[in-house]
Amino acid sequence: MAATFFGEVVKAPCRAGAEDDEEEEEERRRETPEDRELRRQLARKREVRLLRRQTETSLEVSLLEKYPCSQFIIGIGNNAVAFLSSFVMNSGIWEEVGCAKLWNEWCRTTDALHISPTEAYCVFYHLKSNPSVFLCQCSCYVAEDQQYQWLEKVFGTCPKKNMQVTVLTCRHVTDYKTSESTGSLPSPFLKALKTQNFKDPACCSLLEQPNIVHDLPAAVLSYCQVWQLPAVLYLCYTDVMKLDLLTVEAFKPVLASRSLKGLAKNIPQSTEILKKLMTANEIQSNIYT
Amino acid sequence: MASRYDRAITVFSPDGHLFQVEYAQEAVKKGSTAVGIRGTNIVVLGVEKKSVAKLQDERTVRKICALDDHVCMAFAGLTADARVVINRARVECQSHKLTVEDSVTVEYITRFIATLKQKYTQSNGRRPFGISALIVGFDDGGIPRLYQTDPSGTYHAWKANAIGRSAKTVREFLEKNYTEDAISNDDDTIKLAIRALLEVVQSGGKNIELAIIRRNQPLKMFSAKEIELQVSEIEKEKEEAEKKKSKKTG
Repeated sequence: MAATFFGEVVKAPCRAGAEDDEEEEEERRRETPEDRELRRQLARKREVRLLRRQTETSLEVSLLEKYPCSQFIIGIGNNAVAFLSSFVMNSGIWEEVGCAKLWNEWCRTTDALHISPTEAYCVFYHLKSNPSVFLCQCSCYVAEDQQYQWLEKVFGTCPKKNMQVTVLTCRHVTDYKTSESTGSLPSPFLKALKTQNFKDPACCSLLEQPNIVHDLPAAVLSYCQVWQLPAVLYLCYTDVMKLDLLTVEAFKPVLASRSLKGLAKNIPQSTEILKKLMTANEIQSNIYT
Repeated sequence: MASRYDRAITVFSPDGHLFQVEYAQEAVKKGSTAVGIRGTNIVVLGVEKKSVAKLQDERTVRKICALDDHVCMAFAGLTADARVVINRARVECQSHKLTVEDSVTVEYITRFIATLKQKYTQSNGRRPFGISALIVGFDDGGIPRLYQTDPSGTYHAWKANAIGRSAKTVREFLEKNYTEDAISNDDDTIKLAIRALLEVVQSGGKNIELAIIRRNQPLKMFSAKEIELQVSEIEKEKEEAEKKKSKKTG
């Protein structure tokens, strides 16, 4: 360790690296049974469980094996979820088929085993009039170690090739790498990223390099690319990460895409529902005025 | 990369950024929108009212504050930082009056606020103020002024500007609609400010607060009724304009 002029403590690279590494590795190998038990408990706590909502029993097979679909729409993050709730889910009857329960350090609830039904943040629906249309509302953060489990339990190990996946999510505009200054960007704005097998035109411009996608949306897209599924991600860069009307409305161009066309019927009513959602969710923070 | 250069405010990054100042500008975007317009005989400040909790007294949540009889300001960003800056500015206004027996000019008090903000970008251990301010008023000669300051301590004079969340949308609206015609009289200037805010305010007139200063008159805060009146007039004008358009095309 070394201290800089400004008092920062930084890890200095050690030139006598080889010897130290060996000692550290030996310590790691000396794992006690308590350590192993702790690791097992932690793994159990972080397990992703897929449950049938009404009965709360676990699904034996993956969700899409039980409910095969041709269109799978996933909303990740509160703005994407609000968009799907207001514009897609109010135009038709959607039946809840299951939910994913998981716990990680980001979850607000401390009790991993007894997350109440109102807190099951990852819910799956299918359209009653056309059960091959599937929708997922995911408001929780799925950690890196849980993303593979989530994919396995939802998509399964051998997904059907005739399914098209659409993912909607948000990211803060300061993560958008561009030569312009973030102050001059027209946020919120939409960018798309698609897999090789997705042949339809995207509803907005594609995400330029060197920008990358993170977290669950990236995991889903990678999975679809590997399994040669047509999938597209619509990423909204916004400067307001909490639930915000302008950010949600920025997803509107997606309603013209093949997967969502025909699903959103009553736009004026949707806007009203969205406004109600906003007022219900306004956080009374006094820090900013 | 940024994390090595944003700990202490006095550190420049290798490419010349002061990250704390830029982060402070992000804090400004978290505040609700404020718009300022300089008319011919009037200056207008409009703000999006922050939604108040049920048990909270509305009077304590104010975005528009008078600095002196002839100068007022609206801010966006950290509430507590704004309170500190406003208090210092108010004291300076009175101190100036007592010392030189003249009221401050709008430019003077803006420069004072901007200098104060800049000091905090160059001090060890202190963070910048997380607010941008729109300062309006009339100078002695009866000239209307509008200035904007930001966390870096820069200030500029503007004909019309917006700060806070969705400021870009409002600014684009103003760039399209701020014409000599639009500010030819007081009423139209007020309507322009309200129209600019209605572009981004979520629930219409009841979430707007407006203040005006006319030449040689003190600050006037509009009541909710007066704002509703203006909003309904704007809506009527919009309807009439749309009817005319459809008649032309139809």
